[in-house]
Amino acid sequence: MNGARFRPRSSVAISLLVPLVLIAIVTLVGASGTPSFQGTVTLILCNLIVVLGLQVFVGNSGVYSFGQLGFATAGAYIAALLTLPPAFALLQTPGLPHFIADAQLGPLPATLIAAAIAGLLAVVVGLPLMRTSTLAIPISTFAFLVVVYNVAANWDRVTGGSSGLVSIPTTTSVESAGLWAAAAAVLVIAFKWSASGYRLQATREDEVAARSIGIGVMRERLIAFGISGVLCGIGGALAVHQSGVLNPTTFYFGATVTTMTMLVVGGARSVLGAVVGAIAIATVNEMLRGLENGADLFGAISVGAAPGLAAIGLGLILLATMIAMPHGLSGGREAGELPWIRRLGLTATVPPPRTSGVATGRSTADPVGKGTLRAEGISLSFSGLRVLRGVDLELAPGEALGLIGPNGAGKTTLVNVLSGFQAPDSGVVALDGVDVTGRTPTRLARDGLGRTFQASLPFPHLTVLESVAVGAMGIGVGRRRAAAVAADVLSRLNLLEQAALPAGSLTPAGQRLLGVARALATHPRYLLLDEPAAGLNEVECGELVEILRDVIKDFGCGILLIEHEMSIVMELCPRIQVLDDGMTLCEGTPEEVQADSAVVEAYLGSAFLAAADA
Amino acid sequence: MGMMNFAHGEFIMLAAYALYVFAGLPFPAAVASALLTGIAIALFAERVAFRPVRSADLSTQLVTSLAVAAILQNVVTVAVDARAQSVATPASLSESTSIGGISVPNLEFVTLGLTAIVLAGLGWLLYRTRTGLAMRAAAENFDMARLLGVRADRVIAISFAISGALAAAVGVLIVMQTGQVTPTMGLTPVLIGFVAVVIGGFGRMFGAVIGGLLLGVLSSLLGAYLPDGLVPFRDAIVFTFPVLILIFRPHGLLGGEIGKARV
Repeated sequence: MNGARFRPRSSVAISLLVPLVLIAIVTLVGASGTPSFQGTVTLILCNLIVVLGLQVFVGNSGVYSFGQLGFATAGAYIAALLTLPPAFALLQTPGLPHFIADAQLGPLPATLIAAAIAGLLAVVVGLPLMRTSTLAIPISTFAFLVVVYNVAANWDRVTGGSSGLVSIPTTTSVESAGLWAAAAAVLVIAFKWSASGYRLQATREDEVAARSIGIGVMRERLIAFGISGVLCGIGGALAVHQSGVLNPTTFYFGATVTTMTMLVVGGARSVLGAVVGAIAIATVNEMLRGLENGADLFGAISVGAAPGLAAIGLGLILLATMIAMPHGLSGGREAGELPWIRRLGLTATVPPPRTSGVATGRSTADPVGKGTLRAEGISLSFSGLRVLRGVDLELAPGEALGLIGPNGAGKTTLVNVLSGFQAPDSGVVALDGVDVTGRTPTRLARDGLGRTFQASLPFPHLTVLESVAVGAMGIGVGRRRAAAVAADVLSRLNLLEQAALPAGSLTPAGQRLLGVARALATHPRYLLLDEPAAGLNEVECGELVEILRDVIKDFGCGILLIEHEMSIVMELCPRIQVLDDGMTLCEGTPEEVQADSAVVEAYLGSAFLAAADA
Repeated sequence: MGMMNFAHGEFIMLAAYALYVFAGLPFPAAVASALLTGIAIALFAERVAFRPVRSADLSTQLVTSLAVAAILQNVVTVAVDARAQSVATPASLSESTSIGGISVPNLEFVTLGLTAIVLAGLGWLLYRTRTGLAMRAAAENFDMARLLGVRADRVIAISFAISGALAAAVGVLIVMQTGQVTPTMGLTPVLIGFVAVVIGGFGRMFGAVIGGLLLGVLSSLLGAYLPDGLVPFRDAIVFTFPVLILIFRPHGLLGGEIGKARV
């Protein structure tokens, strides 16, 4: 196996171990207490499972959902109805079909069925909801929560209506809840570091960049939404088998605020955060509830009963966290990534990955096609402003084409059209003879079209290695192979030393190069580079030319280079196309372009002449 | 402001409680106190909670507003009670006037008139005044607006004050209709507002109006024509409806620009 790893084994082990140990401690402390204390701790562990369910979706996607407790409600009702003794079922839910009313399953099958149905519900609900924007999802999921509540509260003959269900067998012990929580934690960490988890995190870091490397935002969100539904369903099913009673408000607005507080206070991006937040907030919550019921503080100050006090306390904690510590207690890090764990020397320093010359994400048998990327008669207007007026362009694999022109000429817009981010008003984009006009950026990236952005658009919270590997994952490469591909690409771009650093910590020049690396990991046949040299100094510019030459040679891809730094364009591109005011002004070799008086007049002027003389 | 505020429902609720607390005053004075309460709470929340997270991402702001909502709701629970309290409403509002044989409650006229005034006023303010221009600029790009000399802190405070006043008006209307106040009374109106905005498309006042009207009409139609057995599920159906719209128009009916990714 290749030496490229996303993190050292010791870091993975600690990241897994710490949450498990925390869960084990809570379980053991709970098991040693009175029956009522055991019940409290069991419910805390059930809550923890729900919070882990929240983390899978919210933490990895960065999109808030206020509807996940709806899946806990669904899971709880299903598990309750499946386990109610037939006599009680007949009394409380006369409308229930007989085969369910007569069924009296054991806790395990009931929980599994509840989890499966909750997960299925999440997929069905998620299908339309995940299509909407990052801003609309919190609202539409919240609306879903209200719908679930409304159904549970009014479907009297099946759910027992607003008075709910009683006499549900209480079969969940502290130990079983602890085991489920531990399993959930392992699952959630495994998902986070799976190819699907990485793709979803990339969409959280930058949705546009994620689409440019072949990631289907809706698909990845839907997968996590479904897993989240399963976990919330399990949490709800286990909880109802602890308390023995269930009503529509059990998992409603209050529980939504509580679990969201747990996740955010702990730090939504990490599983450690979910576990720590759930335990810490539950502890504070129990203490505040003690106050609510009236208690003697330090034996001196007497506080009267005041329901609502705990919720105020949690609200204040949530508010303070958002203002002072938006990444939560864990800072969004897993245990193995915590700086003080590293300083203790518990995790090995990450070795720069070795490379074994696995050059590409696609199979190496995949021949570099003979075709071309062609654009014909591309026109586009933005509210009356004609940005592109019938532009033609052709790029062959293995070729470097320079695209230059003054600011506002339409260069970036043309790249947006080619890469699918912008549909043209008229004109055709053809990839190897196939009309691909109107295809999504995601699809085009998988078809072999890579691009970078003027603004770099890095994935700041992923490491450099992860940022590049996720490019390979975007076109469907598994995570281990993707790591090898990324290490290989990074070594070609002289970025291997920085592999373990967060992408956000690179210099602007480094981030530009990282953008190129990320696009290369998708093994594009056509690579569209939007001002890769902006912000680079002279030495770095020289290095960039060498790197791009090697890229053309090794990967065989065609490069379309938008660049204002003329020395790079002249050196790298045997053919140059000049765009001005949305039209092609001229096209030819560097010499021809330099000699064209229209070009000199329209755009290049003295700045270019100076560069040409140098 | 490009921001969604869960706590808006609690502004509504607190203004309604002002009506309950000042029930002893003459009615116009009680309404004025409700209005002042709404504005004061909105300004207070802006200063204490929302200003510190203004430069954070939208999700952070959303969760912050959730925290504010939870705090305000439970402060009322502790200070008053979790149960509903009844509030006397002026008799003139509960009477009806007959128009062409159809008897219409007076309150409906007040609601209708007030909505028209608010819409016209808001439209005028946002699109016809300097302050409105500054507000839209600050919503579009806070830092840039500031660099151009917009007193952005003040502009945002003003927009919060306006939203507080509007919330108070809604709170008063709801109390007039139902005759009672509860700590959770703000939840449904704010959700209806959110959903209306989603249906209409973000960042478009007209979109929100269309979305709100659609929801209202749908709700009334369902109330009138739904078979008896399904009437309790009216809310469920009303809130499922936006999902159907979003399947075909993921960015809302008018397809606002906010929320769409920019390249």
